[in-house]
This record gives sequence, structure tokens and C-alpha cells, in this order.
Amino acid sequence: IQQRDKDADYVYFERSTQGMSKNTLDAAMGAKLKLEHFYKVAVEQAIERSGRRVEVEKRLATDTGLSDDRKSRQLQALGRRESGFLRLRRTRLGLDDFRTVKVIGKGAFGEVRLVQKVDTGKIYAMKTLRKSEMFKKDQLAHVRAERDVLAESNSPWVVQLFYSFQDSAYLYLLMEFLPGGDLMTMLIKYDTFSEDVTRFYMAECVLALEGIHKLGFIHRDIKPDNILIDAKGHIKLSDFGLSTGFQKQHDSAYYKRLFENAATGNQNPQQAGRNSVAVNSINLTLSSKDAIATWKANRRKLAYSTVGTPDYIAPEIFIQQGYGHECDWWSLGSIMFECLCGYPPFCSENAHDTYKKILAWRETLQFPDDIHLSAEAEDMIRRFLTSPETRLGRNGAQEIKDHPFFAGVDWSTIRSIDAPFIPALKSAVDTSYFDSTELDHIPQVPEGADVDNDARKDYCFVGFTYRRWEQSFN
Amino acid sequence: GGSFGPNGKALYLCNPFVRSALVKGSFKTIVTLPKYVDQREWVAVNLFDFFNNLNQFYGVLTEFCTIHTSPTMSAGPGLDYTWIDQNRKQVRLPAPQYIDYVMTWVGGLLSDEATFPTKASRDFPPTFMVTAKHVYKQLLRVFAHIYWGLFGWLVHLCAEGHFNSLFAHFIAFGAEFELFSFGEFRSSGNSVGGGYPGVCDLIE
Ligand SMILES: Nc1ncnc2c1ncn2[C@@H]1O[C@H](COP(=O)(O)OP(=O)(O)OP(=O)(O)O)[C@@H](O)[C@H]1O
Repeated sequence: IQQRDKDADYVYFERSTQGMSKNTLDAAMGAKLKLEHFYKVAVEQAIERSGRRVEVEKRLATDTGLSDDRKSRQLQALGRRESGFLRLRRTRLGLDDFRTVKVIGKGAFGEVRLVQKVDTGKIYAMKTLRKSEMFKKDQLAHVRAERDVLAESNSPWVVQLFYSFQDSAYLYLLMEFLPGGDLMTMLIKYDTFSEDVTRFYMAECVLALEGIHKLGFIHRDIKPDNILIDAKGHIKLSDFGLSTGFQKQHDSAYYKRLFENAATGNQNPQQAGRNSVAVNSINLTLSSKDAIATWKANRRKLAYSTVGTPDYIAPEIFIQQGYGHECDWWSLGSIMFECLCGYPPFCSENAHDTYKKILAWRETLQFPDDIHLSAEAEDMIRRFLTSPETRLGRNGAQEIKDHPFFAGVDWSTIRSIDAPFIPALKSAVDTSYFDSTELDHIPQVPEGADVDNDARKDYCFVGFTYRRWEQSFN
Repeated sequence: GGSFGPNGKALYLCNPFVRSALVKGSFKTIVTLPKYVDQREWVAVNLFDFFNNLNQFYGVLTEFCTIHTSPTMSAGPGLDYTWIDQNRKQVRLPAPQYIDYVMTWVGGLLSDEATFPTKASRDFPPTFMVTAKHVYKQLLRVFAHIYWGLFGWLVHLCAEGHFNSLFAHFIAFGAEFELFSFGEFRSSGNSVGGGYPGVCDLIE
């Protein structure tokens, strides 16, 4: 057949883009990427749609108590929901479809707001990411990764993403609102938790991280700020900013820069010179009360800074010799230490000292004398805060679940039992679990946001626009 | 745009380009109306996607589609399309202008709540399917002109497989919902078909 084709009308065509403008080449690249994404999503949605239908049909087929009339009405209702979902795809969502209730959080690239969708009245948490900042900081892949993980997981342990859209200044992520605040805020409020309370949060985190690892992702940046509390007091993980699939597209360069900046002293050269001796002789063995006090006083500011806090990051990530999912178990160990002792194990007055302490963990890990820990708790922390080759969890989450600290935990029901702190909420938009004292100056509407959406410029964010099938959709 | 192969045959009909495709296999899964779903909603969202995707590719080609290179909205010799102006008069327009009119018109309809409703409370107008056919026909003309006059540029840009798949999907969709009577023009006139010669060949 091939031979005949060649004989008949086979053309040798020399492809060349010489003389074409950069605009055209960029536009061609963008159009191709978008179309590839379009067909990938179209097929996925067709599969999901038929899955939902089969599920309803199956349920109705086995339900003998329901009249045919009722059954056909249920199928019609399914059709209406599916039609509504299709309609949503044509709907141009923009900032003006949402009304800001309150600014509730701040991160490196923007803010988090509690918003209400104007037409349905539904409540969401809207995370805003400033594009210019991200271009500058080379974080495009980071956003891609964040969105992909959030969007693709149906895990009860991961904050769900419902919509995303963009304008020329920002990317917007509309997520489910978790009214209980985050673990950082809770730790600031309570200082320490009892071992029972700690056990509950740690157990939920183990299940959450296990789920993420099973999806093929490593979180890498798990910290109390990213552990959010839902209306019933159970946890969900947010912020996959730095998480990466095993396809590692963006990765270590971030930490490399971070570390180099810190190592060379990024501010005043004179100061760096003066301190060069002191840097080597910093107190690596004691978490002094002063350091803890400074750290505590700055905790929230640290969370708001672009660099973030390095307190929970595993040492192997800094030295860049490759790492695996076990780096998340190190982070969990640091968080557990903080829950029980009131400060993270390597906390220092500044980030650079923290790096050094983490790298020198063998010498610097110290448990406070004035706090009593059970032998099981201390052992588990020590088995997490150790080299990756011997770290608990490297062979899977089961060995963590089997640790004596977790004796008596019912892993299959934990998400449905009563949580130790159940938020007392007065309404669907109650924000009393968010400390917004330092967020008052942030405007209701993101500064410089526009409605003018020239999508053609934005192919680097190809596929960013996203609408999720919502169970409650109608 | 260097759009011809040997023997004067149009480039888009020549191997290997006529075969290149992004999407392999049948479009059935993404064309068929999902069970229990409102057909108008399905047609609406698909036209919306076709418009956006086609617009995307036309955007790539604007550099090459000028009043000098494309003085008529043509899909082949003797196949010029005319635009109906406000006074219901047929006017000949250069392709870039014609396509601009089409895209502006369709874009306007798609964001018109009365024609393509998006609010939960609004229903489609009774004339919706008629409008859908008009839209489909105009988009088909844009496809036809790109195939006829601009296909070579898509090959240079290695985008012909993508465009072929988009077009095959478009045709499969039009056939499924009878947005266009393909049979009619195929039998009219010569064996290649009346108004859309290349289009017709590609369907087979
Ligand atoms: N879905 C949500 N519901 C309620 N509060 C949220 C939600 N998402 C974020 N927040 C609040 O906003 C704060 C900052 O959000 P987040 O951690 O996602 O941003 P970030 O720190 O900028 O992330 P990054 O690491 O990418 O810089 C959180 O600590 C939390 O208090």
C-alpha cells in the first residue's frame, strides 16, 4: 500500500519556517499545545461522563423499591446535571462572577480570599497568583504542578479545586473553603498538643501523604500552613506549589538558588564578611530560648514570605543528591516534634541557620528537657528525623502505621470519627478561625486585576482554565 | 502558500499530509450525544469549542492571509463565497475580511445570552438549531479556505496533523447532527461536489 501511495501523489515538501515572525511561530506552538490538551480532556470527560451514567443506571437497576416513573425522573435529573456542566464550559468565568467576603490568607504569590459565586451563592476559597511574580521567579511549572495535582485528585485528603481562570495579571484557583483554618494557626493558639491530639493529626497526615505518594507525587513542602482543617475538624492538604510528579520538570534549581542565596549572604556584603567567622561558629547544639522566641514571633511573617520557611524540609533536598517520597516523612517528623514541643526541631533566628542545623541533624536534633514525651513518640520522631536510607516510611506507609505510637488507631474509620477540635461555626462564611489581623491592608479585589482576557498571549498557561464536575451541581 | 502537489493536485489531498493526524481512530466517543443530555446543550458547547479551536489556528495564519494573497474568499477555482451584507446584498470580500466578519459574527452570537444562554435560568431560543446550522456553514467555509489557500503554511509549521484532526472532528460532528447536508452537494454538479470540493474529498 505504501508503495502505491508513493507512486500516486507522494509529495516531498521541504518544511521551513524561515522568514516567519516570532508571533506566528509562538501562535503555532500555542495552537498545537491547546488542541492536544483539548482532545486529551475531551476524551477524559467522555469517559467520566459515561462512568457517572453507568453508576446511576446500575443503582437504579438494582433498586426494586423504586417505581419506573421515579427511575426515569432520576435519569432525567442526571441529564440535567450533565447539561448544566456542559453549559458551564461555555460560561466565561471571571473575577466579577465572585464576590469577596474576606481576605483569609497570604502566600508567596498572592492571597487567599473567601468568596461567594454571585449566581449560585456557593462559597469558595480563591487563591490568586500574580503572573508577573511567577514569570520572575520561574515558577510556571510550579503552578502547573499545583493545578494538576489539585485538579486530578479526588482524594478526600486533598483540597478540591473547582474552577480556575486567568486574566492578564493573575491566575485564579477556586477551591473548596476549609473553615477550620490551618494547623499553623492552631499551633500558634495552643502552643502544644497532647499526645492523643498529636496522634490524631499525625495519623490523618500519614493517610493523606500515603494517598499523594500513591498518585505518584511527592509533596516536598508539607508544613503546618499547608495542613488545613475542614468543618468537622479533619485535615486536608493544600498547596502543591512545590510538589512534583516523577517527571521532575522543575525541581531542584529552586532550592539550589535558595541555598546559594543563603550561603553567600544575600544582603549586605560587609555584614557577610563580618559574620563569616560567626557563621561557622553558630550554636549548632542548642535550641536556645531566644531562638525559639524569635522564631515564634516571626512565624506568620515567615509563612507570608516568598522564600517560605525551610524548617520542615528534609536535608537530602538541600544537598541535591536525589530524593524520594521519604522526604515527606521527614517533614512529618518535624511537624510532630512541633506539635509536642511547641517549636520545630531545627528552628533558628534565621533561615540560613536553620539550613545548617538541618544538614547537621545528627548533632543538632535535641529534645527539650522540660517536656515529657512518651518513649513511643520520641522514637517515632527519631525514626523520621534520620537519614533517608533508614527513615521510617521508606518502605511504604504501612511501617509507619505499625509503629507503637499509633497503637489502637483505626485507620479505616479515622476520617469519620470525631476530631479533637471541631470548629464551632456560626455560618457558612464564618472566618473566625483565620487570623486576619495582618491582612487588613489587602484590598478586596486583587490589585491590577483586569477583565480583559487576551487568551492568545497566554499559551504558557495552556490548559489552565478548568471546571470541575461538582456533585452538588444543578 | 505553496499549496499544490504534483499534477496540480491540492497539497492537502496529497500524501503524506492527507493522512497526518493528531487524533487516531474514530471520533465517535466524543461526537455522539451523551445519553439523557439536552441535544442543544451538546451542539452549543461543541460549536463553542470548534469556534475557539479554529480561531486559534486562523490566528496562526493571519500573517499569510492578506488581501493580496487571498483577494477572494475561495475554496478553489470558481468557488468564491459571498457574504450577505446588512442590506441582504451578496458582496465579494477578500478572504481576511470575510473571515474576520465570520469570526466576529460567530463570536458575538456565542456570547449573546439570547442565542447561546449560559445563565442557569435561561433556555435556548426555538430557532437555536437553525442558527447552529448557519454558524456551522460559515465555519465550514473558513476551514475550506484554509485548506485551499493556506494549507502549505500549516505544513511548514508542522501543524497539518492537528488541523486535519480538528477538521475531521468538525465533519463527524456536522454529519451526526445534520448541521450540513453533505449528501446534497456531493451529488450536485461534477463528481467532486459543488461548493466544497476539497472538503468533500477529505470526508472520504
Ligand atoms: N482552601 C482553603 N480554605 C481555607 N483557607 C485556605 C485555603 N487555602 C489556603 N488557605 C489559607 O491561606 C493560607 C495560604 O495559602 P497557601 O498555603 O495555599 O498559599 P501559599 O503559602 O502562598 O503557597 P505557596 O507555598 O505556593 O507560596 C493557608 O495557610 C490557609 O490559612
